[in-house]
Amino acid sequence: MTRSSRWKNEILNRHLLRAVVSVAAGVILFSCLTSHVAPVAAQTPAEWERLSAEKSLGNPNAPIKMIVYDDYECPVCGELYEQTLRPLIDDYVASGKVYLVHRDFPLTIHSYSRQAARWVNAAARIGKFEAVERAIFDNQMAWSEYGTENPKGIIKPIVQSALTPAEFKRVERLMQGCESNSQSEIKGCAVDAGIQRDLAEGQILPVRATPTIVISVRGQQYPPMTGAISWPILRQFFDKLLSQK
Amino acid sequence: MASSSRWSMGRVLLLIGRLTLAVVFLAAAYGKLRPQNAVPWTLASLKITPASLGLSMTFFAMQVDSYQLLPARLVSPFAYALPWIELGLGIMLLTGFALRYISLASTLLLALFYAVVIRSYALHLAINCGCFGPNEKLGAWTLVRDGCLFALGVAVTIGAFIVYRRSRSTVVVT
Repeated sequence: MTRSSRWKNEILNRHLLRAVVSVAAGVILFSCLTSHVAPVAAQTPAEWERLSAEKSLGNPNAPIKMIVYDDYECPVCGELYEQTLRPLIDDYVASGKVYLVHRDFPLTIHSYSRQAARWVNAAARIGKFEAVERAIFDNQMAWSEYGTENPKGIIKPIVQSALTPAEFKRVERLMQGCESNSQSEIKGCAVDAGIQRDLAEGQILPVRATPTIVISVRGQQYPPMTGAISWPILRQFFDKLLSQK
Repeated sequence: MASSSRWSMGRVLLLIGRLTLAVVFLAAAYGKLRPQNAVPWTLASLKITPASLGLSMTFFAMQVDSYQLLPARLVSPFAYALPWIELGLGIMLLTGFALRYISLASTLLLALFYAVVIRSYALHLAINCGCFGPNEKLGAWTLVRDGCLFALGVAVTIGAFIVYRRSRSTVVVT
């Protein structure tokens, strides 16, 4: 091998090494930047849709569909539920005008919101979503970190009070492996899959804060709304939507 | 000579400031009045129709309500009036008619917006701004932008009063 071809080979090797290092650095950087996005849990779309239907209220063919991304520990979510969603459920959902879909979006800044979501998801799997969600929100000040009662994060008795003993036993069985208050996904906690899927859906939207409301009518989606909206103002918007042909 | 060129420069700056404010108000009004259901987005979805107008204003009322500032009975009247006030101010600023009073009114409105944004930011309200349409989250950027717009409003108002006094004194001398 001549001196010049050896030199050329050396240059080529150097470039090749640089390229490999750059690609590796790129891959590491990309994985770091995307690591905050929760992976979509191993749950089939059909399973998630079934669970999603269990966490929804009203007629799926209602003209208006309203999706609410909630964190059970967020005080504004509690306010929205008590002041706005309850009259909505009793009136427009009950009369078939609105289909209300709940999605979980537990924020990591709240210590017990994921655990509350696990209980509600377990209850949803036995068809008891509405009762347990109501109990969780009605008693938010009892179990959340903003409440006055100690020790905090005691959610089990609240769920128990909303169910019959037989129902509670079934929910408890579903909660096996989910005892920790961990805010991240627990391996072996079956109900976490649905929460992870809701979180992934929210990140696509993107949900920037809770509660986030997405309203769609006849396939046309309105931009996400964040924060508490009072019932008279929301009803006025729904009436306007319903009066449109 | 130097004074005359400074005077001309001042008038040009006033014109630029006035037109900038006009565009801002017109964009804000259009953002609230245009159809909000822009998903899926089409060119037709940008067109304001009588049918879409009522929906857009009731949608904007929800954004006003999320500030948790006004009692429920005042939310809708305010939300229904604001886009038209912004439109009116934008057109008046564009024409330059009664500039002193219109720029003063615009600055007062901008001061109100700025105060509301500061309050909401201080209360950590995680809401949409609703300033130029539905998709903007209220955050530090909103605070900076509204502060700059308020400063521009003050500058245009002061400029309008100076130009008026100067042109009046010129007429008297002549």
